[in-house]
Amino acid sequence: MAEPTTAGRQFDAEALPHLDALYRVALRLTGDPSQAEDLVQDTMLKAYRAWQQYRPGTNAKGWLLTILRNTFINDYRRRKLEPVATDLEAVEPHAIYRAVEDVDPEGAFFAKIVDDQVLEAIDALPPEFREVLVLSDMEGLRYGEIAETLHVPVGTVKSRLFRARRLLQQSLYEYAVETGIITPREAPHA
Amino acid sequence: MHETLDCLDAIAWVQDYLKHELTPERTAELRAHLERCPPCFRYVRFEQRFLEMLERPAQGCTCPEALRARIERELSREMEQG
Repeated sequence: MAEPTTAGRQFDAEALPHLDALYRVALRLTGDPSQAEDLVQDTMLKAYRAWQQYRPGTNAKGWLLTILRNTFINDYRRRKLEPVATDLEAVEPHAIYRAVEDVDPEGAFFAKIVDDQVLEAIDALPPEFREVLVLSDMEGLRYGEIAETLHVPVGTVKSRLFRARRLLQQSLYEYAVETGIITPREAPHA
Repeated sequence: MHETLDCLDAIAWVQDYLKHELTPERTAELRAHLERCPPCFRYVRFEQRFLEMLERPAQGCTCPEALRARIERELSREMEQG
């Protein structure tokens, strides 16, 4: 058994700690645990082979996520991304807040929605919006890191995140009403 | 010092504020507004609750041990080949 090389040790130290995050993102991108496993494994091997391109001390997590996403797009995704209309003007930032402010002004209903339902609603988002929301709000990446990972301007990240959050709030609000977690105020009788 | 931040501006800044990506000046301006505007304050709480919900699923979700072991095996094979 050969001694691990310096490059090998560096890779282990910088890349392996991000396996959990890579696996979670892979799950949301593929929607399938066994595909997610294959995607993470392919990503780690590609990353190791490209390790000399990584600048030590920079953002290893972002670098790995870029490889994961590129691998997903090239080798895993069956259908092409359809461009999504971003009619931001049509959405009020606080539309759902407005709908619940009389019965649940601080959004306590979000705490009552189980994780599986949250994930199902996230998986139903259009892919462009889903990936930004996952990287930002589930994995805690900053705008700049997401922009680098997705190769889009920061402004695009912000507008997709805005739209993703509105769509998700809308769908979880509808779920909460259907299941009785929230009882909207009766519409006034005419 | 502006005293003119209205609710529409405040609401437009909330996303960046909650991601800690608002400039310090705007952060101060927004906080001053939130102190005197209960509806906007409640709106920020609403968005915070929403974000807390999104942080939950990651907590229990880690890379399966079998996958981790497989990757480490594959990597040491690569490393031996040089």
